[in-house]
Amino acid sequence: MRKILAIMLLGIGSGIAALATGPLPSPEIDPASVGSALALLAGTLLVIRGRRRK
Amino acid sequence: MLGALFSIELLAVTLWLDDAVLIGKPGLSGVIGTWGAWMLRAVVAFAVFFLTFAWLNYRPALQIAARDAAESGVNGRFLAAHAVSILGFGVLASLLYGGLPSRPISDLVALAWLMAGLSAIACGGFALIQPSFWLRIAGNTGYLWMIAFGAVILACLTGNSSRSLWPWAAGITFRLTRLLVSPFIPDLIVNPATMVIGSRRFLVEIAPECSGLEGVGLMLAFGVTWLAFFRKQCRFPQALVLLPAGATLIFLLNSVRIAALILIGNAGAERIALGGFHSQAGWIVFNLIALGFTAAAGKVPWLANVKSQDPAAASFENPTAPWLMPFVMILAAGMVSHTLTGDFEWLYPLRFFAAVATLVFFKAVYKRRNAGFDWRIDWFGPAIGIVAFIAWIGLDRFVSPGAETMPAPLAMATPFARNAWLTFRVLSAAITVPVAEELAFRGFLYRRLLSADFESVSFKKLRRFSWVAILVSSVIFGSLHGSRWFAGAVAGALYSLVLLRRGRIGDAVAAHATTNALIAVDVLAFHHWHLW
Repeated sequence: MRKILAIMLLGIGSGIAALATGPLPSPEIDPASVGSALALLAGTLLVIRGRRRK
Repeated sequence: MLGALFSIELLAVTLWLDDAVLIGKPGLSGVIGTWGAWMLRAVVAFAVFFLTFAWLNYRPALQIAARDAAESGVNGRFLAAHAVSILGFGVLASLLYGGLPSRPISDLVALAWLMAGLSAIACGGFALIQPSFWLRIAGNTGYLWMIAFGAVILACLTGNSSRSLWPWAAGITFRLTRLLVSPFIPDLIVNPATMVIGSRRFLVEIAPECSGLEGVGLMLAFGVTWLAFFRKQCRFPQALVLLPAGATLIFLLNSVRIAALILIGNAGAERIALGGFHSQAGWIVFNLIALGFTAAAGKVPWLANVKSQDPAAASFENPTAPWLMPFVMILAAGMVSHTLTGDFEWLYPLRFFAAVATLVFFKAVYKRRNAGFDWRIDWFGPAIGIVAFIAWIGLDRFVSPGAETMPAPLAMATPFARNAWLTFRVLSAAITVPVAEELAFRGFLYRRLLSADFESVSFKKLRRFSWVAILVSSVIFGSLHGSRWFAGAVAGALYSLVLLRRGRIGDAVAAHATTNALIAVDVLAFHHWHLW
């Protein structure tokens, strides 16, 4: 399991690297806000899906 | 640890080498310059496709292979071969990218460089998982590697050719924007040749990148991922209709966004239009459509595998909300305040009030020590907070230096406005942000990484060490700190250690609050404004 996570981490690192090679101007989707925007979406989805029957 | 090491190697290589140097050169060097970035993207995409679908469809086989590989340990010989290959790769790269005199030598070095790179990747992979296990994974996953390879080729071709769609899509966006704006601006200035539209007061040019296709791509990526992961909750093929629906909606709303931008600018708020609104509106639209997508996929009976029930008859609880909502509300308030302000975030206090309101709302829950909310603190938290502050300042020298003066809008404001803004900024940094972030990252995410039922991981049990949970939660925490992501990850790891010592969320909050308070003192007393 740890090795799978290590490979996933490698994939994430590779993803960062791949993105770093070809930055594109993106006025429609501002890359500077990607972290907070996706954190907001993920947080909201986790809260919504955390609802359960008593 | 090896995964992290390989990632750092790859990132360092990518930041060091610039393919643009080789573009236009003859022979193999020129081929690398033109296609190097695409080859790297293809490798990444292949890994993502293969691992995602192998995990979804062949999980038992993958788990068995992973268990066998874990028992075998790291192969030292392959690790040494990887190190030698990386060294050779680095030396050859400095020759290749430094410029070589003649074509035969250049081609030879380029070929050796490629071989060294491939050898480094292969040996790195074999050091983690031995060749026989890779073969077993390939055997157990059938033709998946071929499907993944085909998907990568298709994705690269589609991604490249989609750029040719930009002008066409921008034309549609231009006409839609014109349609939306014309009722509000009688003397509308329209120039289809230059894609310029607006009023005498405020004109915008709809660039190809603004065509709406970025949002479409993001929406399709989100939608496909969601449907793949929650496929058991969806009804197929009906649920697939959500993909074109979401893509169409985000494309149309891009025109609404540009129309709103023009109207805001025309109304005299050029700074807001070009500043906050321009950068945030796209994300607000995406988040709203994504939430609508998930709601439809999970609730609409035609699309979802849901049993009809009387919602009034059932009562619900949400154990996640007290841990995450303060952080979510700060992010939402930040997005709103960014959108409504121009070059300076005057509405920052919104974040403070949003956090306070949420914390007050869950006040009764936070008093339950048996639910994990232990707010007691001792000396250890603040002490580690000081260490995190020193690390933060020490690592800051590696980040490009920022302004050492107070932002101009704040300096020019009235003393009352300036002091009021600074008061809320400091209160947020020292109180609400540490509470919200520690609840979210150490209280929730750390335990969620250990178990899907995060409540089952009690804080006493939390004292058990998990490097993976510390690493992943800290890296995600760090990624929200922009260019200071590494310092953020280090601070996050330190706060995790504080929590692990006694299993008290209060200790982690005290550590985080100490760091942030010291940063605030550094900013205000020594004018290191770039730290904010």
